Amino acid sequence: MKYIYSIIKADYLQRTRSYVFLITMAITIYAAYSFVPPPSAHYTTLNIVGFKGVYNSAWVGHLSAMMTTVMLSLYGFFLVTGGIKKDVDTEVGLIIATTPISNFGYLLSKMLSNFLVLLTIAGTTFVVSLAMFFLRSSGYPFVISNFIVPFLLLALPALLFISAIAVVGEVFLGKRAILQYIGFVFLFGAIMGHTKGETNDTIAVVTDPFGLRTMTMSIQNQVNNEFHTHVDGVSMGFTFHKKDNAFRTFTWNGITWTPVFMFSRLLWIILAFSLVYISSFFFHRFDFKQIAHKKKKATQYADNIPVITPAITAISMAALPAIIKNYSIVPLIKTELMLLIRKGSKWLWLLNAGLCVSMLFAPLNISHTYLLPVLWFLQVTRLSELATKEKTNRLHYFTWSSYKPLQRMLPAQILAGVTLMVTLALPLIIRYLLVLNGFAIVNILLGAVFIVLLAVCMGIVSGGKKLYEIVFFLITYLVTQKLPLVDYLGAIAHNSQILYTVLILNIALCCISFWARNYQARHL
Amino acid sequence: MALVITNLTKQYNKHKTGLADYSITINKGILGLLGPNGAGKSTLMKIIATISKPTQGTVFLDGEDIVANPGRIRKVLGYLPQDFGVYPNLNAYEFLTYIAALKGLGGNDLRKRIDMLLEGVNLTADAKRPIGTYSGGMKQRIGIAQALLNDPKILIFDEPTVGLDPEERVRFRQLVSDLADDCIIILSSHIVSDIETIADEVAIMQNGRLLAKAIQPDIIKSVEGRVFETLIDSSHLPDFKTKHLVIDTNRQKDKTRVRYITTTPLAGSTALTATLEDAYLFLTHSNA
Repeated sequence: MKYIYSIIKADYLQRTRSYVFLITMAITIYAAYSFVPPPSAHYTTLNIVGFKGVYNSAWVGHLSAMMTTVMLSLYGFFLVTGGIKKDVDTEVGLIIATTPISNFGYLLSKMLSNFLVLLTIAGTTFVVSLAMFFLRSSGYPFVISNFIVPFLLLALPALLFISAIAVVGEVFLGKRAILQYIGFVFLFGAIMGHTKGETNDTIAVVTDPFGLRTMTMSIQNQVNNEFHTHVDGVSMGFTFHKKDNAFRTFTWNGITWTPVFMFSRLLWIILAFSLVYISSFFFHRFDFKQIAHKKKKATQYADNIPVITPAITAISMAALPAIIKNYSIVPLIKTELMLLIRKGSKWLWLLNAGLCVSMLFAPLNISHTYLLPVLWFLQVTRLSELATKEKTNRLHYFTWSSYKPLQRMLPAQILAGVTLMVTLALPLIIRYLLVLNGFAIVNILLGAVFIVLLAVCMGIVSGGKKLYEIVFFLITYLVTQKLPLVDYLGAIAHNSQILYTVLILNIALCCISFWARNYQARHL
Repeated sequence: MALVITNLTKQYNKHKTGLADYSITINKGILGLLGPNGAGKSTLMKIIATISKPTQGTVFLDGEDIVANPGRIRKVLGYLPQDFGVYPNLNAYEFLTYIAALKGLGGNDLRKRIDMLLEGVNLTADAKRPIGTYSGGMKQRIGIAQALLNDPKILIFDEPTVGLDPEERVRFRQLVSDLADDCIIILSSHIVSDIETIADEVAIMQNGRLLAKAIQPDIIKSVEGRVFETLIDSSHLPDFKTKHLVIDTNRQKDKTRVRYITTTPLAGSTALTATLEDAYLFLTHSNA
């Protein structure tokens, strides 16, 4: 047990002592603030057409817990996945592999440290929800159980399940981060779809890891009974309304926790532990078949080359051809592009190609709203290391001591990223060209620049890839949910305001990136 | 060509000082930097390589301030850091072409220059393999090749022989000696013999300060007549160490042959010829 405790502690401290975590916490506090809109707000996070709950303890506590559960489950996966990979990269895994800790013990400690990280964030949203209730005092009595119980019953089992899924994903998909991301997005979508679509209430409650169905059904039943109406669905997500839209309010006093619901929560906790236990039988314990394969490959190379003295021979500097100065950034762009293209599995390019072809034939709005954001998101692991890979690969000594790195290296990285994104968007751009829609093309181009600059800026500022990967995922998810606020590529029909906003954001991101990189490059 | 460093201080935070009021003038030839871990060798090299800014002090290259104008030195700099890495997906050609672009090199002969450097570091046969599959020694050789790409006038080698096998180390030392006629070469190493065999001048550092800088014979003079050897009972060794500065020990059954520095040698001790290692250990211990 002491091994497990030590690993959990070390892992937790390692993750939380990072800028990424701090920034994530800051974003979480803002998100938590917006989870339960004040009565006067023109948006809702729980959409019951024409209705809104009054701002009492039950409404604030439950809604906050529900939003935390779903949103944190969604982006929390991206935050916590990679714990095992870190041990592989740092070679700490090799030390762990030689200790008496069992595979299950190790994976369990990883799951629990994942859980602790998520719990820390959930705890923050809990505190913010309490603060919001008092700050937006609406005269209703404060009932602490209406805050604590939903967090315990909704958030905790769900976050434990997500923590387990992150571990299982790493065990089975190893270093293929993008496959883990795709797999998780599909799983999450399937769970949400099933929760909403299942007609048998008992099955829906039991098979819902987030516990949403119980809450939405409770609210829906109350609205239908109180107003004698036929609201047939309560959906989650940020929904904006026009200012003159009036809501009818109702007083909701929380959920009656049924035995079936309690059983389902226990079931998901057991399932989380079971998944980790089963995956421990397949855990590599840092003994990679891939390495053996690589070595085999290297041996094959070695077989083909003549036997040579493996040492340095004489180098006559005078005999070398004279050097010719060339400060063009084109060779740098070429190499950056080459690195972007070579990153990740080759077969993923088939998926990229498939989506590109689909964009040629799918309806324009589908291509722009769904296919292009998804296609761009598939490049997340490429973009996230655009400005971080020098440091990750310890090559920054060379790049930062090179001639004018800020004026040459950083622009080359940005241009390479934009080139890749625009190339992928070409099918859609061509279609818009054919229908003479220049506005949409400008939106796409600005969007490509934005998503690349965001990668560069977040990479430089946070020093890692995680923050960008989480933010890019959330943006993509919200774009496909048609949230106008995050429509960086002009996928949703609206005025030109978003275009100017993206343009200003691009300039701001560019300035921050150059300023921060300038500082870093001289303060190693 | 001369690099003049004056009153250089690098304060990382309240409690950590990289360099403290460090002044040195470096001329053409090989300067060997010796010092224990944390002495400030890498900090000094990073400042000269312009990737770290000093808190105070100046660094002038031929009268030009390179802290204010780093582009001046970067054009003529070859830098091999201690713990550098590579892009594992690139092969040696691609990697060196990339570094050449970073250094602002081009032209039709660039490929030929890369070919010759790869041949010089004996990597021609492996040049088309991803660098990720290279051994530690091969990566170190790629590092050496990249440092020489731009015909540098200032070469900074931070622990360059790490990962090289004995034969490669000998070859590397030969290469550095050949380059020294036309360049300033600053070379740090934990291995005193690497410095001893090639450095024209030696600078000994400790706690961010310069303890001594001189040609080797002058540094060795500080311990001349103080280095001795004797045979003692192994059980007496711990007590012996508290009274004398022990440089080396060689166990022989229940006796131990001890090389030590003292002004009051034990009776029966043999006087030995002082080496750079003796002087280095003497200076760093007497200033600890």
